[in-house]
Amino acid sequence: MAISVKVMRRPEVGRTSYMRATLKGMSLTFKHMVNPTKVTLQYPEDQPDLHPRWRGTHRMEVHADGRPKCVACGLCPTVCPANCIRLVGGEDDQGNRYPIVYEIDEFRCIFCGMCQEVCPVEAIHVGRHFENAEYSRDRFVYDLDRLMEQDHPTTLLWDPSDSRSE
Amino acid sequence: MADNGRKADTVTLTIDGHEVTVPKGTSLLHAAETLGVEVPHYCYHPGLSAPAQCRICLVEVEGAPKLQPSCVTMAQDGQVVHTESAQARRMRQGVLEFYLVNHPLDCPICDMSGECKLQDYVFNEGREHGRGREPKRVFGRDDFGGDVLYYGDRCVMCTRCVRFMDEVARDGRLTVVERGDRAVIDTFFESGLDGASFAGNIVDICPVGALVSKDFLHKARAWDLDHTESVCPNCSQGCNIDLHTRDNLVQRLKPRENPEVNGHWMCDYGRANYEWLNRPGRLEAPAVGRGDKRRASDWQHALHALFERLAEAEGASVRVVGSAFSSNEALDALRALAEQAGTLQAGVFRARRAEDEDPLPGFPILVRRRDLAPNVDGAGILGFTRVGDDDGTGGLEEAADHDGVLIVVGDELADQDESFGAKAGLFVYLGTFDSPAARNADFVLPLTTFAEEEGTFVNAQGRVQRFRQGLRGPGTAQPAWLVLGTLAAALTGGDRPVSAADAFASIVQRHAAFGGLIWEGVGSAGAALEAAHA
Repeated sequence: MAISVKVMRRPEVGRTSYMRATLKGMSLTFKHMVNPTKVTLQYPEDQPDLHPRWRGTHRMEVHADGRPKCVACGLCPTVCPANCIRLVGGEDDQGNRYPIVYEIDEFRCIFCGMCQEVCPVEAIHVGRHFENAEYSRDRFVYDLDRLMEQDHPTTLLWDPSDSRSE
Repeated sequence: MADNGRKADTVTLTIDGHEVTVPKGTSLLHAAETLGVEVPHYCYHPGLSAPAQCRICLVEVEGAPKLQPSCVTMAQDGQVVHTESAQARRMRQGVLEFYLVNHPLDCPICDMSGECKLQDYVFNEGREHGRGREPKRVFGRDDFGGDVLYYGDRCVMCTRCVRFMDEVARDGRLTVVERGDRAVIDTFFESGLDGASFAGNIVDICPVGALVSKDFLHKARAWDLDHTESVCPNCSQGCNIDLHTRDNLVQRLKPRENPEVNGHWMCDYGRANYEWLNRPGRLEAPAVGRGDKRRASDWQHALHALFERLAEAEGASVRVVGSAFSSNEALDALRALAEQAGTLQAGVFRARRAEDEDPLPGFPILVRRRDLAPNVDGAGILGFTRVGDDDGTGGLEEAADHDGVLIVVGDELADQDESFGAKAGLFVYLGTFDSPAARNADFVLPLTTFAEEEGTFVNAQGRVQRFRQGLRGPGTAQPAWLVLGTLAAALTGGDRPVSAADAFASIVQRHAAFGGLIWEGVGSAGAALEAAHA
């Protein structure tokens, strides 16, 4: 089988000049030199603005006396699609139901925010927070003390001013 | 249909547009139930009298001037009943709203949440938002003694618990005190329910979370529990129960209705004794070798080696020790194996025996029996002899010094010392836990408990009852009927049992007392042995 060769015709000389494209590109460069717009964020000196609905690692709200707000109702482990919450309920010395064990495996978590949505006492929240680095994997299972220590802002799952949003 | 002139003992009525025929004297609530229509109810319970005081089962009966309580209105010929008419629904909504005037919205911390009738009914047809503005009255909680806690705030005053103690337990320890919205259930004396042996049932029949079990308090949510039909293993009455399990652990036992055995009830002794099913430290893999020579093994090697030893021992004298906690299938397979392996000298078992029985006065069929093991009667029928004393100890002197083949199944030998079976030519120990007395065993094989396998028990009424598997066994533990049946089949060259149904079929073949029974026929409710003979 003979090889067929397609012969391309060169464009006319007037259209092969690269000068026009070069000037066009350089004009953009010079424009930014004169009037620069900032794109690079100088993290970690500068922190990004997180959206109010940003969903990051969890945080447990506490009462004024330091007890967790959680009443161990078991709704968050029930609703959790990733099955990452382990909860063992019990009773404290004042007769209140509270979580003896409350663990969230942040590696398994898919940050859907349903735990916050389902919580009847507004105890567990997902947070507007993303700096989670650790030196070991087992540190990503957050226990109750760790969840109560977190102090980052919590997520707004809906706009409180919009009556239709909830 | 031709009328033969006999007075009809059934009535035909119409409920929600469907015609239904029920025996005379059936309540409308029951008649609706046969159609699959659940009329909401609190005070009515099939095992108790019906005071018609909760007012939520009211239904519309055509021709009646006002709504009728369906729990006490008897079905009559030609009646036309509407449970879902606008009037009935509006009335139920109103009654539910009244219940919620003082009922706290503490479902998240209430143990009944998920199986609560108030929660169900309000969810189905209650108001979306409460209209109450006044603060709710608060009682706090009261320790009734025994295993029972009372949360007065949650109570709907159905008085099922009061009527149970009066009518069924015949031990009137509860009453309603005060009136109106201050009414609460209370006990008469300081002792409360302490010492009452059937009081745990009031927790089951409470339609809301007013009466809860201390043992189960905050332990698990109702929707997390798996339910398995089973038989109570704590005495030879064999009450039908559901095992409620979570995370491969038994969380609680609940009675399952069976009018022939336990009605709707079970005793507190049976209810409380389930922790042994969760006991850790089980035997998980077979081990081979006596004393210091014991080595871990696997089923294939252990069973091959055991088969060879049994084949060698042919004609030897065999002694077996069974257990009243073993299923009929296990005991029969043990007997079959012993008869194949040599000459069966004796099959014995031991069981604890309480000092007295404890009947339920209002339901006299149900008795907490003296024998505190589920299959004492089955073991007897299958040819095992009871030995030892009332504590389930002693009686094994002959077995301990036996010089032939010795097989122990399910008995932990807790009272025996390390010399047990020292003279035995072949000592096989099958059990759930290792034991110091199993030191001389040539083979130690791990078994499942009754909750981890299928099988049958024979209760004190001579009734064969099936239990089903609710838990996974630890490691490679196997049901005893499978291990023993496989060995027996290998010795005879027959088919080995592959299911509990096969093992049961072999019992039916070998024992006249079981004649005529089939595995499927035993079903959920059990089957009486005598009925099979008739």
